[in-house]
Amino acid sequence: MLIYTLKRLVVALLVALTISLISFGLLFLSGDPATTIAGESADEAAIMAIRAQYGFDRPLYEQYFAWVLRAMQGDFGTSFYFNMPVTELIFERLPVTLGLGLAAITFAIILSIPLGVLAARYPNSLIDRLALTISVMGQAMPSFWFALLLIMVFSFMYPLLPPSGSETWVHFIMPTIVLGYYATPAIMRLTRTGMMEVLGADYIRTARAKGLRPRVVLFKHALRNAIIPVVSLAAVQLGFMLGGSIVVETIFALHGTGYLAWESIRRYDLPTVQAILLIFSLIYIVLTFLADLLNAWLDPRIRVA
Amino acid sequence: MAAITVPVAEDIIGPTPGQRLRKRILGHRGVMIGSVILGIIILMAVLAPLIAPYDPYEQTLTNRLVPPVWADAGSWTHPLGTDGLGRDYLSRLMYGAQISLFIGFATALISGVIGTIMGVAAGYFGGRVDLVVTFLITCRLSMPVILVSLAVVALVGSSLTVVVTVLGVLLWDRYAVVMRSATMQVRSLDYVAAASAAGCSTWRILVSEILPNVMNPLIVVATLEVAHAVLLEAALSFLGLGVQPPLPSWGLMISEGKDYLLFDAWLITIPGICLFALLLAINLLGDGVRDVTAPENRS
Amino acid sequence: MMMRRFSKVKFWALAGTAAIALSFAAPTAQAGKADDTLNIAWDVEVPNVNMYFDTSRNGVIIAHHVWDALVWRDPASGDFKPLLSTGWKIVDDKTIEMDIRQGVKFHNGDAMTADDVVYTYNYLARADNGILNRNYTSWIDKAEKIGDSKVRITAKDTNPLILLYMGEIGIYPQKYYEEVGAEGMGRKPVGTGPYKITEVDPGKRIVFEAFADYYDSPKGKPSIKKIVQRTIPEMNTQVVELASGRLDWIWRVAQDQADRLDKTGRVKVINANTMRVGYLQLNAAGGPEDSPLRKQKVRQAINHAIDVEGIVKNLVRGSSEVIHAACYPEQFGCTDDVTKYEYNPEKAKKLLAEAGYPTGFTTVMYAYRDRSHNEAIMSNLAAVGIKTELRYGQYAATRDALRKGDVPIGSLTWGSNSIPDVDAILPVFFGGLPDDLSKDKEVQAWLVEGKSTLDQDKRKAVYKKALQKIADQAYWVPTWTYTTNYAISNDLDFKPTADEIPRFWTAKWK
Repeated sequence: MLIYTLKRLVVALLVALTISLISFGLLFLSGDPATTIAGESADEAAIMAIRAQYGFDRPLYEQYFAWVLRAMQGDFGTSFYFNMPVTELIFERLPVTLGLGLAAITFAIILSIPLGVLAARYPNSLIDRLALTISVMGQAMPSFWFALLLIMVFSFMYPLLPPSGSETWVHFIMPTIVLGYYATPAIMRLTRTGMMEVLGADYIRTARAKGLRPRVVLFKHALRNAIIPVVSLAAVQLGFMLGGSIVVETIFALHGTGYLAWESIRRYDLPTVQAILLIFSLIYIVLTFLADLLNAWLDPRIRVA
Repeated sequence: MAAITVPVAEDIIGPTPGQRLRKRILGHRGVMIGSVILGIIILMAVLAPLIAPYDPYEQTLTNRLVPPVWADAGSWTHPLGTDGLGRDYLSRLMYGAQISLFIGFATALISGVIGTIMGVAAGYFGGRVDLVVTFLITCRLSMPVILVSLAVVALVGSSLTVVVTVLGVLLWDRYAVVMRSATMQVRSLDYVAAASAAGCSTWRILVSEILPNVMNPLIVVATLEVAHAVLLEAALSFLGLGVQPPLPSWGLMISEGKDYLLFDAWLITIPGICLFALLLAINLLGDGVRDVTAPENRS
Repeated sequence: MMMRRFSKVKFWALAGTAAIALSFAAPTAQAGKADDTLNIAWDVEVPNVNMYFDTSRNGVIIAHHVWDALVWRDPASGDFKPLLSTGWKIVDDKTIEMDIRQGVKFHNGDAMTADDVVYTYNYLARADNGILNRNYTSWIDKAEKIGDSKVRITAKDTNPLILLYMGEIGIYPQKYYEEVGAEGMGRKPVGTGPYKITEVDPGKRIVFEAFADYYDSPKGKPSIKKIVQRTIPEMNTQVVELASGRLDWIWRVAQDQADRLDKTGRVKVINANTMRVGYLQLNAAGGPEDSPLRKQKVRQAINHAIDVEGIVKNLVRGSSEVIHAACYPEQFGCTDDVTKYEYNPEKAKKLLAEAGYPTGFTTVMYAYRDRSHNEAIMSNLAAVGIKTELRYGQYAATRDALRKGDVPIGSLTWGSNSIPDVDAILPVFFGGLPDDLSKDKEVQAWLVEGKSTLDQDKRKAVYKKALQKIADQAYWVPTWTYTTNYAISNDLDFKPTADEIPRFWTAKWK
């Protein structure tokens, strides 16, 4: 287990390093960052001064290492737009995004696991069909369209839910549904497939033959084994939700990191964009790393691999 | 005495695999619904220049926001009404199908080539190649696609080519994952070993033994990736960083219809429903192909 | 609590308990008239509430509420009145002496004195202050205290607009500013204005409270106790919030939406003029050597190709007006008596052919707002053979590209910082500054001339010459004046002014 953990840790670190390189590289897609920062009515002298101040005149690798070193200490530089530390800006807003992500994944799990289990228990039944329909529809519904329709119906035509803000849990209902439904099909399908496989396995037959009650067999024996891959999938989906939060937060005026990312991209606030890309990736890396460990712990066979 | 029935030829031989496949396809409801919807959309796109009632770019500012035919003020002159610039909505929708499908297929093609090469290489050669490819897949999965594509498109400047290229370069991960495991499975089969023993070149084995045998999962992934690309383009366009006007991609039409959401909702619901139907069709088809071609995975 | 500072403990506490905390929080009461709180929304984030470090419109609005200046231009009459001063004497072309008002308090309780005035002006005159709003501060040479309540302010050059500019310059508290610096001012601002800021959540929310100790100012005492500003990027969301009573004031509602919203009767819609004009800026002197836009006939063809009148009448609507000169009609020095290019696609095609482009050409157009208006323009251009690829981005990025000479056609707007004088628009785009794409030496010289005299008739004459040449050369395609649609709660008594600065201290509940 220890060796497996170490191996995974090394890979995770290497991935993080690669992503940092890519994040850093964004800066140079935009031409000269100094002119962007100097902004309105800056003359050549001002631009030169900024180049020196930010170190754009130094060799690329030097700039990269300086950036990574500072990033490791939690310093992502200063936002071009807000003129305040990027770290402060992001951590101000991260709780909203993480809260939304957690709520959405919870919503997805609550909806999809029972449906998946029932669909596997009663294949080709009405409930199986319903599960299939939900999953196919879910994949086909663009989230921004869904979000706008929700606002139109539940905030405008029937003013039941607030369309913006993050003050109370009521504000999170619509964003959670929009962000969560997209993860539902994948989780449900995996639960269903996993359950089907497990239900056909010998030990389940044995359990049944022993005369255990069907519900006990279904939930205690079958689900526990079928859930293993679902755990990693949920972690992966939570990672994807960080990306999805961009659209959702913009529409519902939730001031989280996703919205910050979008605004920062539009106003060429590169230090913020770089930092968010890196942080989102790191969160994903950590999530999958933890999921892997959890899996290895649950299923000893993985550890050998 | 029981009569001895003489079995007829068909009973012994049974239907050929091809016949069986055809039967499975025809009997699969998802595949049928998916193909019909997709067929209609493709037809609409291809025939747009012939059947579109108007030029999709022609604006008549005096004829703005004409409601569709089912509304009280609607008429058959513009069956789906006109948009904020007085352009015929039906015509734009038809031409929009071209753009959205083009983006979907072009992206799936680019990412398909990248992903397949990586996946097959990793699965066939294993060892260090596999290690590198797996690492690249992990890296790619760690980055949120929408964030990276938004950033790159914003920095490079958005146009149809840029959007297709960026998405194509980003969406190869699923191909690589699936192709890798499919290739691994095929590689261990006897006939590949036989080909190898017979002295066939690596290239030949890859092209004539491996590739044809990983075609089924490849098609499934490709189908789903078309849907993925269409959806992402729509999201990019919605955020103002996708295809640029006056091109009528469906994502862009939704984005432009957004301004009329509350009072002229048809402008956003019509392209929204079309996009939904397209994605639904592709997904049904992809799922169906998986069911039909891999009966052992059917549950 | 003021601005929340970043702390790791707090972050983890927040992140960890987010879900739990949310499920126990009770919904807040409906705001608005009932609790004397005006809820407003803007669509862009305010980068910095320190007024000299934000050039955006929202920054100007904040400045007018939080920091009073020495003089005040009454938007109703256009007259200058003393604000933080009690009067002034114009000594000569470059010198003005101000009598400073006594008994005025800053929001933190300190008294405002002549020293604060001197400090503010000298701070703005310094080259290394890092401020962004140089357009109305760069004229300052120095300020000196010449008596207990007397300050002499000197300009670098003769400047006919000094009083206008002084009206924009808010006075900062010397002691506090030296203590907290520019950054501290952005977190906890202190001024003398009718409203004080009590909470800043950067980009997200600003809370203003009526300043109880506000002096007897010509601006009048604020009536509404509290203003809460929120940033809501999506316009539909803003409208829905307004319709459901969670917002009391929004603006820049699209015309179509405004029309329909008005009909619902749930809110009130007001269409008001602004000083903002739209234009296409043509890269007449820059870009590649063979750029078609370098040719006068091509530029004239573009002018003839666009049906500005049709677009205004059918699409832009409101009370927008077609303009022909490169300025806002009500600005001092502006005249409509210049060469006019009527909508005539045939003539446009002919001019293009004469210029050597019988089949037109392909180019790039940059724009940052009103996508549908730009699409209409693009369609007009396409009709005469000029195909344009649209680059739609944020204003700063667009202007950046323009200054680098990368923008063949820029579809932009300019609000003249609400200054009713062509000096706030012409020198920016034709006076040799970075936004000057025509680089016409003759026009540049005229603009300098227009600024270096206080004789208003002479100024008018020279500006007319400049505007005439700009029109003849077709450096611009002036399009239309912008109006703004305000949508407000039926409970609110709010009167917009023509300068795009909402004055909430004059707003009342009905």
